[in-house]
Formats: sequence, structure tokens, C-alpha cells
Amino acid sequence: MNNSQQSVRVGFFFLLGVALIWVTFETLSGGHFFEDRGYKLIAGFDDLKELKTGDEVRMAGVKIGTVEKTQLNESLTSAGGAPDTAHAASAILRIGSKIKITKDASAAIVQSGLLGNNYLAVTAGTVSQPLLKDGDEIATTVTPDFNSIMKDIGDLGHKLDGALSNLSSAFNGDGKDGGLFQKLDRMVTENRDKVNATMSNLQEITTKVNQGQGTLGKLINDPDLHDQLLAAVGEIKDTAAQAKVFVTDAQGVIDQVKTGKGALGTIIYDQQTADNIKASIQNVRDVSDKLAKGQGTLGKLINDDSLYNTAQNTLNKADRAIDGLNDSGPITAVGIAANALF
Amino acid sequence: MKQLRNICDGVGSVLALLVRSVGYAGTLPLQLGRFIEQCYLIGYTTLPIVAILSFFIGSVLALQAGYSMQDFGAKSFIGSLVGLSMARELGPMMVSILLAGRVGSAITAELASMKVYQEIDALETMNIPPARMLVMPRLAAVIVMMPVLTIIANLVGWFGGAFVSSHVKFIDIDSSTYFGALRHYTKFKDVANGLIKAEVFGFVVVLVCCSIGLRTRGGPREIGASVTRAVVTSLIMILVLDYFLTQVLLLISPS
Amino acid sequence: MPFCSPPAHPDASQEVPAVGVKVENLVKNFGSLSVLKNVSFEVKPGEIFVLMGPSGSGKSVLLRHVVGLERATSGRVMIEGHDAAVEETRQHVCIGLVFQAGALFNSLSVYDNLALYLREHRVGSEAEIKTKVLHALKILSLENTAKKFPSDLSGGMKKRVAIARSLVMEPQLLLYDEPTSELDPVMAATISEIIASLRDQYRVTSIVVSHDRDLALNIADRIGLLMNGELIMVGTPAELKASQDPRIVDFLHPKFDLHNPRFKKLET
Repeated sequence: MNNSQQSVRVGFFFLLGVALIWVTFETLSGGHFFEDRGYKLIAGFDDLKELKTGDEVRMAGVKIGTVEKTQLNESLTSAGGAPDTAHAASAILRIGSKIKITKDASAAIVQSGLLGNNYLAVTAGTVSQPLLKDGDEIATTVTPDFNSIMKDIGDLGHKLDGALSNLSSAFNGDGKDGGLFQKLDRMVTENRDKVNATMSNLQEITTKVNQGQGTLGKLINDPDLHDQLLAAVGEIKDTAAQAKVFVTDAQGVIDQVKTGKGALGTIIYDQQTADNIKASIQNVRDVSDKLAKGQGTLGKLINDDSLYNTAQNTLNKADRAIDGLNDSGPITAVGIAANALF
Repeated sequence: MKQLRNICDGVGSVLALLVRSVGYAGTLPLQLGRFIEQCYLIGYTTLPIVAILSFFIGSVLALQAGYSMQDFGAKSFIGSLVGLSMARELGPMMVSILLAGRVGSAITAELASMKVYQEIDALETMNIPPARMLVMPRLAAVIVMMPVLTIIANLVGWFGGAFVSSHVKFIDIDSSTYFGALRHYTKFKDVANGLIKAEVFGFVVVLVCCSIGLRTRGGPREIGASVTRAVVTSLIMILVLDYFLTQVLLLISPS
Repeated sequence: MPFCSPPAHPDASQEVPAVGVKVENLVKNFGSLSVLKNVSFEVKPGEIFVLMGPSGSGKSVLLRHVVGLERATSGRVMIEGHDAAVEETRQHVCIGLVFQAGALFNSLSVYDNLALYLREHRVGSEAEIKTKVLHALKILSLENTAKKFPSDLSGGMKKRVAIARSLVMEPQLLLYDEPTSELDPVMAATISEIIASLRDQYRVTSIVVSHDRDLALNIADRIGLLMNGELIMVGTPAELKASQDPRIVDFLHPKFDLHNPRFKKLET
């Protein structure tokens, strides 16, 4: 190996190294030496999220520039600052000089991966619009990022949790006194005998109806009465409408009951009156007993054919009334009533 | 106590040699022939082993990364892992270790034998300082050759990683994804970081090996002992310096 | 420019301003080991001074002090009024040292070994260097070895190349460290003749360290005898031969007594 050959090899080797370093530099840093500086755009955001210097600016997924700088806008902190932006922060973008962006284009921060890898996406505007120039501000749109979505979901879950626990305590009670179900259960248990009696009476009544006895029976088994019935239904509808009005009134009454105002309120919240009511329920049982035996006015009604129309009306009204009650949150009303009663 | 004295003596003579050699930097144009020769030995002849080793280091990195990342679907980040670790750490580190083993040992052996056979004394009686004729051209050569070796090691390592990523069945990441991830996360700053490291390591390795070679005393047996000491000291210096240099570089240019 | 001044030329026509060497109360200790114990002597310009003594008596160490490779514990070596331990001295006075083993640069050819000094100190052009190197090789009849490497040479040739390498420096003071050791008697005599003829031709001051009795008695102007770090006598060869000191007599004419060997005496 002579010296000149050695020099040639070393020289070649060194130049190769320099060339490789240059290529690496060009590839990794996008070659800032020869790159045209392009033009500058300002994108204002209230929250730059994880956008940082050096992130890409893309249009339709193609890189068109980089984020040159991110800064906090002073206009927020010092009155009468830069008038061009009302945003808390802004990103200075360096866009390649060959890229044309129109005035109606807008920029949004997009997360390209779950690992927090952001870029700024610029939507293409319409061709007819004038182009943005160096130093102009580009319109921005706020996109929910992954973090805020997660936060919303979290809030939602929190609310749901609260609602469910409220519901649960309404049904099951909060330890002091039983919830709705316990109260209902207690009411049913305590009045089982009375209810049973009432039910057996009702069965007796329906048996009679089935056999065509009395007005109700005739109504069901006599086809001639069909037309009359239809006419009657029309009347029933009207009455039902009136009943609805009544129910709304009742609602008002219930509200008063809740607050312990008015007669009903005092009745419910007064132990003595509660006893009276129990006695009244006893009376109701006596009445239904009598009804079954055809005693008294109601008994006659059931056992007397001519009174079927009136009965029908009343039943329907009762139904509507109950529907109305259902609509307007009877559970709460019943709950409060039951609470005071038992 | 004697050990501590030896260490201090060693550090002192290394620093003295550094000062003397740097003082002779001006004579480099007069010693161009020796400089080229050392460049040839340090750079050119070390290239094949650097290329082979860095290719496999890159491959193994990709393989290990692929194996551990396949479970959570982060395989597309293999490129960034290989790119960053080669550029910032393994490239310069490996080139320096090879330099210590291949060039450093040769330097120490040569200088130690010159010392043992009184060639160094002969130089001194001829009024030719060994630091000027033997040490300075080597230091200059390593400064010029280290970045070249390191950038080649980096690139070969990256391609090794790409080769494994695209050809191993359970990884199966095509080259464009690999290099996309590599380019996205590896900045030239990282590469430059590595080049600075390599420069410092290479310089220290050559300086330490020269110093230990010139400090050899006794008979031919001491030549072998000096070579061992030089290589071990170089490796320790590389690893210890690496830690502190990384700290300093992180301080100077935070990501 | 670190180069010997005044520049001398190894040519018979020019007188080399020879230098004198003065060793003053030189003491050298290696740790607790005392190698040189208060040694003083003087070498006159242009003479051959042979420093004799048994192995390990400190001859080589003394020589290394003269070229400044060792630092004295106390005392000093003066060369033409310059302290040998000072770096600059070697720029004022050109000293050549012929090492015991030659100390040739193994990685360089014989020619390059000789040319190294001239090239490093930029003495003239490559053509001038070539003239000087070939001239030095011719003086020692080494013309055919120019392209060879030290490892290809015999012991005698290596010594001659080493002498030639010192000669190229055009020294004012030439030091020889055991120039005839490890050589056959004829080659030893040849080297002795070379030393003498170089002095005669160029009037270079020469200090020869040797335990070669024949060399010392034949070519020396004066002889110093060093034993255990002490200079026990300085004188002409005739004075040395006439000395009745038992140590000198034993050194010059060792008696072989196989029945009562010396190494056994030393033990007791």
C-alpha cells in the first residue's frame, strides 16, 4: 500500500461520512438550510392541547408545513393588546410557499394516535375565495379531543350514578324509615283481610255480570244495547275530559298535601285523623259488604238493571282519573301519603 | 492508598499528555502523512467490523422491540425505538467500544513496545517529543474519523432494524412504516447528540491508550499488561463518561 | 526551531566545536535504592571517555542523566555550561545517544530511521536529506541496508545503524551505551574502531559506557571506573593498568577459581 492510495481511501471515506451526515440531516430535519421559508399564518385557539413546536401542518393528510412556534396571547392579559385574535393561545404556522390556502379554510388540532401525537389539519377552502397571505390569521375550529370526550363520559357516569342512588333510596328507603316498596308492602299486609274481602265481593259482582244479571250483565250480553252504548261512550269521553281537569286540580291538592297545607295535609300528617281514616276504610268494607248483598243504593245499583248506565259512567271516570294520576307522578304523592299514614 | 495514588498519577499524566499534544496541534500540516495513516487505521480499517456489528445491533433491537411490543400493538413504533436508541446511545457507544478494542489496544501495544525497546527515549534524545509525533496525529485522526464511523454505524443499524422488521414473521412491519416512525421521532438533534458523544469517547479512548502505552515501564511482559489496562480503562471511561455526558447534553439541549 | 546550533557537518574539512561535560556531585536514588552516590568527573572536549564498571553499577543511569532522560536526585550534569536536565539544553548542544539495543524504530526502514531526525527538524529538502543519510550509511559501510527493516538486521548491523542514526544528527557529543555488548570479539573490535575513527574524523566528544576491557584500554583517552554507584578512579588506560587497587585488578583481570567461586563468597 503506497501513501497516495491510502490518502485516496481516507479522503473517500471522509467524504462518504460527510455525505451521509448531510443526507441524515436532510432526511430527519427536512433540510432547513435550503428550504424556502414559506409564509407565516397565525392560528388562534383557546386551547392548543398538545400541539407543540415542530408538529406537522397537514392538508388532506399531506404535510404542508410545520408549527413554528406556540405562544400565549397577550391580548387576554393586557387590555388593548393585539386586536387580531380573541383566543387564549395561538400557533404560528410556517406553510410552504407553493401551498395555497384560501380565506375560508380552517384549521383544527387533530390527534393522530392515542399516544398524544398531534398535528394541525387544515381543511381546503373553496377555489374562488381569495388566498391567505403572510401573517394572516386562519380560521380555526375546535374539535373535541380524546381527553374532553373522556371527561364528558366521566361526568355522565357521575350523574347517572347519582340518579340511580336517588332512585334506589326512594324505593328502598334511606335507613330511617322504609322506602316506597316497604310502605306499600306494609299497607298491603295490614289491609290484607279487607282487600281479600273486597276482592271476593268484586268476584261475586263480576259473576253476576257474566250471568247477564242486572244492568251490567245485560249490557254485555244484549247486542241491541250496542248502539246505545256507543252514544254513551261519547258522553263518557266528554266526562273524561272533565275528569282530567279534575285530576290537575287534584295534583295541586297533592302538592299542598306534600307541604302539609290544607285539609288533606293536616289529615295525613295528623295521627288522629289517620285513625279516623282507618275507621273509614272499615266503613268502606262494610259498604262493599252491603253492596254485595244488594243493600243500600249501591247495592241496588248493581242488582238493578236500570242503573247500568250510571255505573258505567262512574267506572270510566274512575279509570281516567287513575290514568291521570299515573301521568302526574303518583308515586311521589302516594309515597308521601303512605309515609304519613303508616 | 497505593491504588488511589496510581489513579491520580494516571489521570495527571493523561491530562499532561493532553495539554502537550494539543500544544502541538499547529504542527499537523507538517505531519499530514502520519495523520492520513492514522485516519486510515482508525477509520477505514475499522469500518467493516463497525458495519457488521451495528447491523446486528439494529437487528436485535428491532427483534426485541417487536417481541415485547406485539402484545400491546405498538409494533409500528419499532422504527422510533431503533432510530432513537441507535442515534443517541448505541451507535456512539458501540463504535467507541470497538475503537477501544481494535484501535486503542493497537495504539497501546505499539507505544508500549516503543517505550520498552527505548524507541521513545531515542525520540527524546533526538529532540522529537513523542506527544508531537505519536499522539497528536492520532488524536487529530480520531476527531476526524469518529463522526464518519458513527453515522455509518447509525445508518447500518437502522437498516438492520428495517430488515428484521420486514422479514421476521411475527413482526412484519414494512420498511415504509418503520422509517416513517423512525423519521417522526428521531430528529437530527438526536443524531448530532450521538456524534458529539462519539467524538468525546473516541478522543478519550485514544488519549488514554496513548498515555498508558507511553507510561509502560519494564520489559516486554509489561506490553501485554499495558494493553489490558488500556482497554479496561477505556471501557470504564466510555461508560462513566456516557452517563455524565448524557446528563450534560440533556441539560444543554432538552427535548 | 528545535535544532542543534551551530549546525555542524560531518565532513573532515570542518571542525566540529566539541563540547565538554562536567558531572557535579550527582546523586540518584530510585526509592530507597541508591544508584549513584555523589559522582563527579569531567570530560574534556574531543576526548573519548570510557565509563567502566560491573553490571548494575549505575553506568547507564549516569548516561541517561547526560541526555536528560533522568532527573537527578541532587547534583547536576553540565554540558558546555548548560544543565542537561533542562529541555532547552538539547537545542543548544546536539547530543547523540547510541542505545544498548539500538532502539531503532521497528516500523521504519533503515533509511527512514536515519532520515526521521532530519525530516522532523526540517533540515533541508528531501534531496539534501538523502545525501546526508547515504553519506552516514557509507561511513559505516551500510549502503546495502538502506531499504531493510531493523528486524532483518544482525546485532552488529543494528549497532552500526544506531551509530549512523546518531551521526546524522551531526552531534557535538556522542554517547554510547554498551556498544559492544552481545557481539562477537571481531565485531566488538570493529565497533571500537568505528568509535575511534569517528572521533578522529569529526573531533566529537564521546562518552562510552561499557564493561568491555579491550575497548576501554585500546581507544579510551581516559577511563572512569564506577562500582556500586561510586566512581573509584579516573585515569588514562596506562594508569588503570598500573593501579594496585584490588577491586580494579580483579575487575580487569578476574581470576577463575572454580573451587572457590565468587558467588558463594557473596553469600557469606
